[in-house]
Amino acid sequence: MRFLVLLAFAVIHPVAIAQKAATKAPTAADWAALGKLPDFTGVWEISRGGGGGRGAAGARGAAPAGPALTPEYAARRDALRANAPEDKETANCLPAGMPAIMGQPYPMEFLLTPGKVTIVIEAYTQVRHIYTDGRPLPEDPDLKFHGTSIGHWEGDTLVVETIGFSPLTQLAPGVPHSGNMRIVERFRLTGPDTMSIETTITDPKALTAPYTTNINLARHRNWTIAEYICEENNRNFVDEKGKAGVILNNPGALPQKKD
Amino acid sequence: MKIFSALIVAGIIAAGASAASAHHSAAPFDLGTQKTISGTVKQVDWTNPHTWVWIDVPNDKNGVDTWGFEGMSPNYLGRRGWTKSTLKPGDKISIVYRPLRDGSHGGMFVSAQRPSGEVLRMTGEPVD
Repeated sequence: MRFLVLLAFAVIHPVAIAQKAATKAPTAADWAALGKLPDFTGVWEISRGGGGGRGAAGARGAAPAGPALTPEYAARRDALRANAPEDKETANCLPAGMPAIMGQPYPMEFLLTPGKVTIVIEAYTQVRHIYTDGRPLPEDPDLKFHGTSIGHWEGDTLVVETIGFSPLTQLAPGVPHSGNMRIVERFRLTGPDTMSIETTITDPKALTAPYTTNINLARHRNWTIAEYICEENNRNFVDEKGKAGVILNNPGALPQKKD
Repeated sequence: MKIFSALIVAGIIAAGASAASAHHSAAPFDLGTQKTISGTVKQVDWTNPHTWVWIDVPNDKNGVDTWGFEGMSPNYLGRRGWTKSTLKPGDKISIVYRPLRDGSHGGMFVSAQRPSGEVLRMTGEPVD
């Protein structure tokens, strides 16, 4: 019986098992078509100028107006603040996840290949996989730090839809999301070496209105993505009570946490 | 030298806290206080997620205490004029820092000054 259900699911949602299915091999024409798209190549970093700020992804007081929360989620935000004011999982080297990973003070690189946009993110050595081959979003995605993304081009704008986020990520700093959070990002060039990302978050359980923020990026043609291994020498920690601390022993070697 | 002069101006507004907080809670540090301490560089950890500059500071027992200062990452600093040998063991410096709230020997690196007067800052606009 379970097999039949699975089989039916696979027939209705062939893309749900696309990772196992062979993807169509790109043709020379597919590769050539990429040349007609806007040039997203190179390494980009958030620019402070331009008034865009760090938006939803920013770390602290970034957005002029915060997200409009439902009473339930406003209470959850307040409870988070009251109970664990120092809590920040990134201190333990967990990556920031979406949307915060897009607002780090480190660059990212866009790679365009047939049917896919890949974003190489220096912070925490992360990668986002955005499928532009026409597949739909999965019906019941696994919950991931970056969710599951598909994208399409509307003229010169790359529109990316993402669902399925780990509960360890946040809608905005200190604000939890529900299982229904959906993020739509619109990437477009605003000049020879500038890009804007308009990020709109919807979450019917957590938000009373869509929450839109903007990020401005500047291209640095001469830069390359550097290594970022958070566990290399992480002397920051947050304990099980949400208390943040710093380890000052063992200079020049791995810090040794005392119990 | 030129780069560092630019950083002096650019860095003040940006204040280390905003970018440094990308990695972790700033709660252990007293962000409202800045202190200065002088010593000799013992060790520089040019590592992620933060650089650490360790200096030996003379104490009142005719010895030295080692103090540790958390700075921006090599990824961030490397795009703002620093290299892994900008500060080297043996360098005499005074460091402006935001102290740890628990009073232990360390803090958040804000800037440093050499005896020559050269100022090294942690933040600033990126350099292509």
